[in-house]
Amino acid sequence: MITLDGLTKRYGDRTAVRDLSLTIEPGLVTGFLGPNGAGKSTTMRMILGLDRPTAGTALVGGRPYAAYRHPLRQVGALLDAKALHPGRSARRHLLAMAHSNGIPASRVDEVLGVVGLPDVAGKRAGTFSLGMGQRLGIAGALLGDPPVLMFDEPVNGLDPDGVRWVRELMRSLAAEGRTVFVSSHLMSEMELTADRLVVIGKGRLLADAPIAEVLAGSSRHRVRIRGPRPEGLRRLAAELAPHGVAAEEVAPGELLLSGTTVDPVGDLAFRLGVPLYELSPQDATLEQAYMELTAGSVEYAAPQGADR
Amino acid sequence: MTAVPAGGGMPGAVRSEWTKAWSVRGTWWSLVGAGVLMGAACLQLAIFTVNANGNDDPADDRGVVALGTIAFGAVDLAQFAIIGLAMLLITSEYTSGAIRTTLQWIPRRGTMLLAKTAVAAAVGAVAGTLLAAGGSLAAAPLLGRWGEFALGTWLGDVLAVGAYLGLISVFTLGLGAMLRSSVGTLIVAFLILMVIPATLQASDIEAVERAAKFLPGVAGTSFMRGEAEAYPAPLGLLILAAWAVAAVAAGYQVLRRRDA
Repeated sequence: MITLDGLTKRYGDRTAVRDLSLTIEPGLVTGFLGPNGAGKSTTMRMILGLDRPTAGTALVGGRPYAAYRHPLRQVGALLDAKALHPGRSARRHLLAMAHSNGIPASRVDEVLGVVGLPDVAGKRAGTFSLGMGQRLGIAGALLGDPPVLMFDEPVNGLDPDGVRWVRELMRSLAAEGRTVFVSSHLMSEMELTADRLVVIGKGRLLADAPIAEVLAGSSRHRVRIRGPRPEGLRRLAAELAPHGVAAEEVAPGELLLSGTTVDPVGDLAFRLGVPLYELSPQDATLEQAYMELTAGSVEYAAPQGADR
Repeated sequence: MTAVPAGGGMPGAVRSEWTKAWSVRGTWWSLVGAGVLMGAACLQLAIFTVNANGNDDPADDRGVVALGTIAFGAVDLAQFAIIGLAMLLITSEYTSGAIRTTLQWIPRRGTMLLAKTAVAAAVGAVAGTLLAAGGSLAAAPLLGRWGEFALGTWLGDVLAVGAYLGLISVFTLGLGAMLRSSVGTLIVAFLILMVIPATLQASDIEAVERAAKFLPGVAGTSFMRGEAEAYPAPLGLLILAAWAVAAVAAGYQVLRRRDA
């Protein structure tokens, strides 16, 4: 369990993280989302005691990270896969890591096997591809068999096989009752992996809820209607307009209605005698829900209408 | 997920740093460099001694020298390879970002820095002793009758070089923790050990010349040679140790205050 209480980090007059209070529960994969520069990495660094909070606390299992004699047995974290000496072999890197926390050396080969790197264990880490580096970082996170795991953009540079492997690993770690806290900007990936979402923007908490709730909260739920008589569909839309329903004609004979659900639309079509071939709810995607949540807090936005 | 309450802590941190030190090429190359510099400088000093004693000018005669003292002069040059080694223990981690990984393993700044200090001290002291022993023995055939070997004296002399390089390594590590950059650390070490003392001693102002004797390199040399004017020679070791402790303490303050 990770507990943040009023966590704040200021760099000069720029506030990277602002009064963040939340609990990341065990047994779940908690996705950590936010635009670039929203404060995700800073938050994770503060949890690990790398950066000192300006105010507030970040506790792991009820204690500050640095208070543990064997912190790697408490929290396994992958923050930056490239943050290692490029000249040291993967095995020696993990061995030094194991020594520091009294972890048996036999565990090194175990985790190298788990991440699929046993054949390149003797190779210098600097020669690794981005994907292999991520796997080595994940091996490090697993080394201490910790109850809490934290990953910053773990699927960066992984091939589709690797992405699926990470997803299944996260799911299985959570299923074992561990706390899994993972940041990503790949919405589709988070939709598949996470149980719960924490969304921040400009250092502020925007959402902290189960993923279904975040999706349900989106205004992008729409109803698609399709039928043989376009003018009938338009009449239907006109009837709904006073009730705050917006209609978008995506093709002749096909409308997308937002701000309503299938039931009243079906009733109305029956009353007006408009034949329908399709009447279906269109769920918001996580990407849409996320875009709405973070619309006001994008740090580095491209100018409107600029394609490049 | 069961935590075994063994290992880790300070011994674990030292073991981890030790493993890291010997698993990169920089350490080995530094030692090779130190060996070459020490050997070459010892041979050169032996030739100088023989020439000075053999030429027509009696003013420069050095007479019979204790074998170990040859290493005292040679270490002036060879120390920079060892300084490189000690420096890389910490500055290479800032270059690659690995310091954040290290602090993830050993989040207590003091433990992390002391573990690195212990490794630097041990490697510097052992390397210094072996370099002095090897260099002075290699110079023995060249010195011939001008070299004097008495086991006790010789052992004392090589161990003095070991103590000097051990403390210089600690001093360098402290500088590295403070400055976080290889180039900066090397420049500052070179200034404090070589340039500033030479400048001060050439000033012809007595107070300034006297002050120069309290700089770490000069103090260490006074200790090794057993010759000092401003203070008893053994005190030179304490002065050097004080510099080393001060550098590590300053490094710790920087480490504690700044984000990794």
